[in-house]
Amino acid sequence: MKNRVRELREKHAWSQGELAEKLDVSRQTVNAIETGKYDPSLPLAFKIGKLFGQRIEALFEYDEEKR
Amino acid sequence: MFAMAIYVAVFLWAWPLARSADALWLKTLYALTPVPPIVYVVWLMARRVLASDELEQRTHLIGVGVAAAAVSIFGIVSGFLAAAHVLDADFAAAALMWIFPLLTVIYAIAQAIAARRYGSSACFEEGLPVALRFLYLIVLLAALAAYLYYRKGDMEGASTALGLAIGVVVCAAFFGFLRWMRGRSEQE
Repeated sequence: MKNRVRELREKHAWSQGELAEKLDVSRQTVNAIETGKYDPSLPLAFKIGKLFGQRIEALFEYDEEKR
Repeated sequence: MFAMAIYVAVFLWAWPLARSADALWLKTLYALTPVPPIVYVVWLMARRVLASDELEQRTHLIGVGVAAAAVSIFGIVSGFLAAAHVLDADFAAAALMWIFPLLTVIYAIAQAIAARRYGSSACFEEGLPVALRFLYLIVLLAALAAYLYYRKGDMEGASTALGLAIGVVVCAAFFGFLRWMRGRSEQE
């Protein structure tokens, strides 16, 4: 899954740790999502979308090649 | 890790006493002495998993799955060999007592590998530095081995404790290697 989490986080000038705190997850989880190593659960994806004021489909894009 | 070391220490101390005690109630008491540290370890593990986020829970699940599979194979092999009288009943009983320590060690290693796959470090994030934890554990087990050998003349117990200390050294080297690899990949 491709995502725009890093782009939006940098736009808000937040560190991975700050974003992790806002999402109530570990910094490692934020890093794994940003690098595409981990796809978040639906509730976490909604939480990220709500935090950045974006719809989920604007944040995450299904990556056919990775499957 | 400390609770696990306490369990092993209590087990190595209580097991010879349980076998040599005459009264049944004393035998039972000594045999069940290692149970409270085990219950404490289970409680710590449950607390840790419940406090972790979804990615950490996934790595814990992978760790538990791998450990359960490995320990089940170990149990089945020991059981079959004991049933066929290849292993004696005492060895099979001792193998049962090592199931939980074995499970926690494999669980920790598998969880660390799974965490690394997701770009995280191992499960030790807060509290004492990992190297110091390993050092304490190695010193504790080595001291126990020395005590059992010099004060009790228990060669079997001493070699078990020493073997465990060597096992922890190997684990420490493994985690050190993982950390070094991670540092290298982050630099690149």
